[in-house]
Order: sequence, then structure tokens, then C-alpha cells
Amino acid sequence: MIDNILKQIDQEAQAHPNRIAFDHLGQTNTYQELADWSSRVASAIQRLDLNHDVPIMVYGGQTFDMLVAFLGAVKAGHAYIPVDVHSSEQRLQTIIEAAQPGFIICVEPLPIETAVPQLSLTELHEVYHSFPIKQGEDSLHLNDNFYIIFTSGTTGKPKGVQISHCNLLSFVNWMKYDFNFEEKNVLLQPSFSFDLSVMAIYPTLTSGGTLKVLPKETTDNFMSLFSVLPKLALDTWISTPSLIDICLMDQNFNPQNYPQLATFLFCGEELTHATASKLKQRFPAAHIYNTYGPTETTVAVTSVEITDDILAKYARLPIGYVKPETTIFVKSHRNKKGELLIAGPNVSKGYLHNQAKTEAAFFDISGVRVYRSGDLGYFEGKLLFYTGRSDFQIKLNGYRIELEEINHYLSEIPFVKQGVAVPKYDQQGKVKQLIGTVVLKQSAGDELTATHRVKQALSKLVMPYMIPQRFKYYQKLPLSANGKVDIKALITAVNAHD
Amino acid sequence: MDTKKNVMSILEELTGSNLGDKMDVNLFESGLLDSMATVQLVMELEEKCQVSIPISEFNRQEWETPSKIIAKVESLQ
Repeated sequence: MIDNILKQIDQEAQAHPNRIAFDHLGQTNTYQELADWSSRVASAIQRLDLNHDVPIMVYGGQTFDMLVAFLGAVKAGHAYIPVDVHSSEQRLQTIIEAAQPGFIICVEPLPIETAVPQLSLTELHEVYHSFPIKQGEDSLHLNDNFYIIFTSGTTGKPKGVQISHCNLLSFVNWMKYDFNFEEKNVLLQPSFSFDLSVMAIYPTLTSGGTLKVLPKETTDNFMSLFSVLPKLALDTWISTPSLIDICLMDQNFNPQNYPQLATFLFCGEELTHATASKLKQRFPAAHIYNTYGPTETTVAVTSVEITDDILAKYARLPIGYVKPETTIFVKSHRNKKGELLIAGPNVSKGYLHNQAKTEAAFFDISGVRVYRSGDLGYFEGKLLFYTGRSDFQIKLNGYRIELEEINHYLSEIPFVKQGVAVPKYDQQGKVKQLIGTVVLKQSAGDELTATHRVKQALSKLVMPYMIPQRFKYYQKLPLSANGKVDIKALITAVNAHD
Repeated sequence: MDTKKNVMSILEELTGSNLGDKMDVNLFESGLLDSMATVQLVMELEEKCQVSIPISEFNRQEWETPSKIIAKVESLQ
């Protein structure tokens, strides 16, 4: 058991200073650089004399400077807010408004104006060489926030999930205990603003391993993806199931070309039976794990190895056994299916500066924090199964999306009268794409032009993955009994076989 | 001719738009296709146009417009 993430990483750096901590397409950085530079960044941040509970926003891509900035903030006693470079300007504005950061470390130039003081990449690099290493005891207490990750909110205002050092320790100790991270090469694929990245970062860095980065630009072009992947010498794979679906299309993705690859961890969206069985056939000796958890309960709270037995027994795969220290209750009346209530030291204190949303989603039972997940499921013995959502939240390629957030912004577009985003499902019941169903104020020429204009307007308002792939235009949308757009009827309509 | 018809109907199904008069639109830059839709495109082309497209050789620049996709599929047939 470790009792301090920061101390553990610094100990790894002392034990093997020259070991590679971060490998970004062959550009490598050592544990020594991580420990040393982040301590200097911490000194620079302490000179600012910010209030202790003020968070620091870190903006950029999937680079080592981001990681240094995260640890620098935390070593100085401040939570960091990771914000990806692909975020829309509207999202940047709303995050800054909601989080009120005291400082922004801009690893990439910030595209919007703000009064918040900033540090540019050039200045950050100067700090690495000109500032002293921070001395003295840790400034971060166990109950202090370690990071704050923003998720989709129904009203268009993203919610900042506060994860404390305590929350993160509960998660990391479980990962280190149940899965072997010791000195492993671990895939780091998601952006830092997606908490699946946390599953790679802290278990790896507290175990002396190496993070092998697969940047978005590489993944997007399949030819570069498949030329980079075999060179990473991966031991452990962490991704959404969507990425493995792409990889399995390449016959060369097999144990001969990936001899070290022994462990697969999936999270972020449902792992289908089809994907898991195909992977198990391709890598028969590998250990494949399905895991589950909302951001509010620190990355993941259940896991199960998908064996041949499990594949033979269940058509829809279980999401797993509950991790130590954590309890999951199923809230139901008579039968055993219901909303999953998650309790334990891994549960967030709530949403930053948002008491109403916090009180709606969290409560305490005799000093233990509980989160109402909105996920529906049931237990079979100790094994947990997921059956769906109680609201209009969906997962698309691992991204958590509130459909109502997209609807909110669609309806803000001046030439759109009404707009609702609905999921289109594949045969496995997984969301394949989003379809925008729109009523225009006046005819906007041909549909392609209209679609182009809607997509352009949305790109300034929401994250790229929230923009519907396709649009359908209607004279009017179906209404439910209470006069609101009948989202369920639209979902049925777009999924009808034609 | 059949190839063109097949490709255009696959693209229409994936993007929700008839691209008949936009043969040179960049499907990736315009946001019409993301990486998951690209996977579907490859699978549909293999099935409906009887070609084999090794995904590890799928260079996006060679498939970025409807015209380029048709030419590429024809060269593989």
C-alpha cells in the first residue's frame, strides 16, 4: 500500500533516475526530469501566493510538459484541471467561469482572452532551469483535491468533478494490487481531460513503469497508427473498446508482432461480447479485463477478467467485482435491478462550486460518501452487470455525453428552431454515431450546406466528439404529453430499420 | 459505374448527405467522417465493392474525397 502518490513518484525517481517515465513517439523523458522539473514548477507556483484551495488549469495536448505541470501544481498544494487542446472556445470559457482557476499553465497557446494569469510554454521551460527545487513537507493534504476533471452537464455548463488525494490513493492502490504495473510499458492513449488517462498515469508512475503515448493525430490516420503501435513494445494496454475494434481489423495485430502484450484493460464504455471474444481469440494467452466506473468515483470501481468461461456463460458481459474499500448498492423495490449507488473512500466530495448539482448526486451515510450513478444494473452473486442509463447520458467511443447538453447548444444556433441529438445504435446495442434531428427556422438551401453550417456553429460551442456525425431535417419534431420534444420517440425513429 | 454508385450510397449512409455534387469535399477536414466512421467506411467498401483494404496501409490523404475513394477502390478491384 502506498500512502502518498507524490512521495512514491519521487522515490521511484531516486531509485532509478534515468529510467524512462514518458515516451512520446520516441522523444523520451526520465523519472529524474519528472521529479526535478515538477518540484521547480511547484516553487514557481508557490511564489504566486495563491489561496490553498484555488485550482490551476493546465491546457495542452498529450505531452510531457503537461505531466510536469500537473505534478508541479499538486506539489505546490493545488489541484490541477487538465484541459485538452481540442476543446472548443465555449467550453474553455465555461470551465474558467466554473473553476475560477488562479493560474493557467499554457503548454499550448490559449485561444481565448482571460484575466487569469498565465505561464507560456517558453516560461515553463525557463522555470525548469531557473527555479529552485521546492523544499519542505508536502503542501497537499489527503483530503485536498488532486485533480478536477470536467464532464458534460445537461444545461450546457460542464461539471468539475473534484478528486482528492485520498480518492486517488484508493484507486491507485487497488490497481497496483490487482494488476501488475511493475516496470511495465503502458499505453497512454486518451487525452488528459478524460479520466481514463488517470488509469495509465498514476499506477504506472508509482510502479516505475513507462507511459507510451499514442497521440490523437497518430490514431486518426490508420497508416501511422499501425506503423507506430508495434514499436511501442507494450506490456499493458489501456483504452476504450472502440480503439481495440480498429486494431483488430489489422491481421498483424497479434502475439507474434506484440510479444510482450499480456494485459488489456478496458474502461469508458461497454465492452461487447463480440469485441472481447475476437480479442481473446487473437491473444489467447493475454489477460483481458473489463472495468467500470464513473468519473465521480475515481476512474473505475469494478473489474473482471474476461475468460473463455465468462464468454461462454454470458451474452452481455459483466462489468465486474467491486474493488476493495468500495460498496455498491442496487436501489430497487422488489426485483434486483435498479440504480447503482457507489459508496466508499473513492467517491468524490462533489462538483466544484456547484452545490445544487452536488446535493442532487451525492449524499453521506454515517460518514461514508455515496454517489448516485444514474447507471442501472444488478448483481448475480458478487458479479455486477450493467443494463443501461436512467437518463439521457450516453457513451460514444468512450466519451461521456449528456444529450441534453448538445440539445441546449443546438437550440442556441440562430438559424435552428429546434434541435435534438439522438444516438444510433449498432447490433450490439452500442452507440455507433450521433444523429442531429433539426428543425430549421428558414430553409437554408440544400441539406449539405445546412449540415455544414450547423457543424461549424457547434464546433465553437461543444467538444468535437459531441458534434453529431449526421443530420436529419424535419418540419417539426414529435412532442411528448408534457409538450417537450419526445427524445425517446426520436431515438426509436432513427434506429428503425429502413 | 457501379463502383461510383456503391461508394456514393455508402457515403450517403455514413454522412447523411448526398455528396453527388461535392466530389472533392475533404471528408475528414469537413468533419463528415471521424475515425470510427472511417472504420465503417472501410468495412462497407470491402463488403459492397469486393475489394480488400489493408487497414494498416490506409493513408487518410489517399481517401479524403469522394473522387479519391472511387479512384482508389477502382485501382484495387
